[in-house]
Formats: sequence, structure tokens, C-alpha cells
Amino acid sequence: MNTQEGTTLARIGQIAINAHDVDRATAFYRDVLGLPHLFRAGQLSFFDCGGVRLMLDKAEKPEFNHPSSILYFVVGDIRAAHQRLRDQGAKFEDEPHVIAQMPNYDLWMTFFRDSEGNLLALMSEVPRPS
Amino acid sequence: MSASATNPGMANLGISSIGQISVITHDTARATAFYRDVLGLPLLFTAGNMAFFECGGVRLMLGPASAPELDHASSILYFRVPDIHGAHRRLVELGVKIEAPPRLIAPMKTYDLWMVAFSDPDGNVMELMSEVPRA
Repeated sequence: MNTQEGTTLARIGQIAINAHDVDRATAFYRDVLGLPHLFRAGQLSFFDCGGVRLMLDKAEKPEFNHPSSILYFVVGDIRAAHQRLRDQGAKFEDEPHVIAQMPNYDLWMTFFRDSEGNLLALMSEVPRPS
Repeated sequence: MSASATNPGMANLGISSIGQISVITHDTARATAFYRDVLGLPLLFTAGNMAFFECGGVRLMLGPASAPELDHASSILYFRVPDIHGAHRRLVELGVKIEAPPRLIAPMKTYDLWMVAFSDPDGNVMELMSEVPRA
């Protein structure tokens, strides 16, 4: 292995998400978002999302006690996913809408809150009929 | 038991992956230079005051906060590297602020999980992670 390869940041392995109540957040990510729960280790709760691990955690230091970054979850059918999430009680900030027209597809998004108030989004690349 | 019975939401929402992560910056040019030249991530494109990077199929979007409530530090993102000590040395050489030197976080069954914490120019704490097979 050369130095260049060894120090390359190839991919994101994990993302930390703050939760005020790890049990409540675990229920939301498992039962509402439907992500596979990997394991629990004390106040840490781990999920898998397409090969990236999500770590729900209660912030131990004040400087880490802030909302998560916006994570954009890829779904196939954004209208159906939006409907399904809303039916399950998730709070949405808007309706699914086109956020950018790309050469071959329209990029759709809609924003919602998790059980901890973190702002998240659904995203979907919808092919444009030629 | 079928997957849909154990995971009703999964079957219905159909979340396949994380497509994008938003990282707020107060200086897009400075942050772009850091993620491109120091971390070495491929810059996909810029759009106005936003810069988009690629990291193993996930897009990182750097840009200013679109609302005051969103102007807070990023989630900790853990970047995988094969050689954590080499990557740590490289960050030090490049003048990156190290928050925690390479340390063994968790001994797993077949490997040791090592991490290094550092800060980006906006003060966002990020980590390098590496699964080192146990001899």
C-alpha cells in the first residue's frame, strides 16, 4: 500500500446524530424510517443506511449539543414516502418539490423532523421523460 | 418472518442510502480548499455559494446556512481510511488542528477500531476511522 492510497478518505463510514432521548430516537429511526438497527451499546444506538452507520448519541459535551447536519435519504418514490412518513406522524416542513432540474432528471426533495427535532430530508432523482 | 414484517417502514419508505449531507460553512472558498486540497475529496461542482463534493457515493454539500436555526456545527462525520497513522501524519503535516490523536476506540471481535479527531476550518469536528485487523 503506498502512502497516497493509505491516507485517502475513501468514504464516510459513520455519522453521529444527537438525540435527547436515545430510546425515543431509536424507535423513530427503526419503526418510522425503517432503518435496520445494528446494535445498542449503552447510550449509543447504531443503524445501517446503505453501508453508512448512523450513531445516535446523547451529547456528552456542550459543544456537541446541537442539531445534526441535514442528512438526505434517497428514496425511489418520494411522494409515497412522504405520505407514509406523514401518516406515521413525522412533521414535515414542506411538500415534495423539484429543487433542481438536472440534464437527465429532476431532483425532488422534502424536509421533515425526526423525534429529536433534527431537520432531515428525503431526496429522489426522477428521470425526465425524453 | 419476512423483512417487511420486521421492518414495516423500510418496506414502505424504501430508503436505500444517504445521498447527501449538508455541512454549514461561513466561508465557502476556505472550506472548499480544505475539503479538496487537505482531505483530498473530489470536488463535483460549485453552484453559487455552495460546493458539492463526492465521498464514496455520498455527496457533501458545503454552503452557508439558509436559516438562522440551521447555523450550527455539523454532525461528526467519520471518514474511513486504510492507514490511520499515515493519514494522521499527513493531517499534521498540512497543519490541520488535531482534536484527539490516533486512539483505539473499541476492540471488536476481529479488528480494532481506531479513530483520530480533527477540526475543519469552520471548527466542525470530524473523525478518521480505520478497522485494523487483529493479528
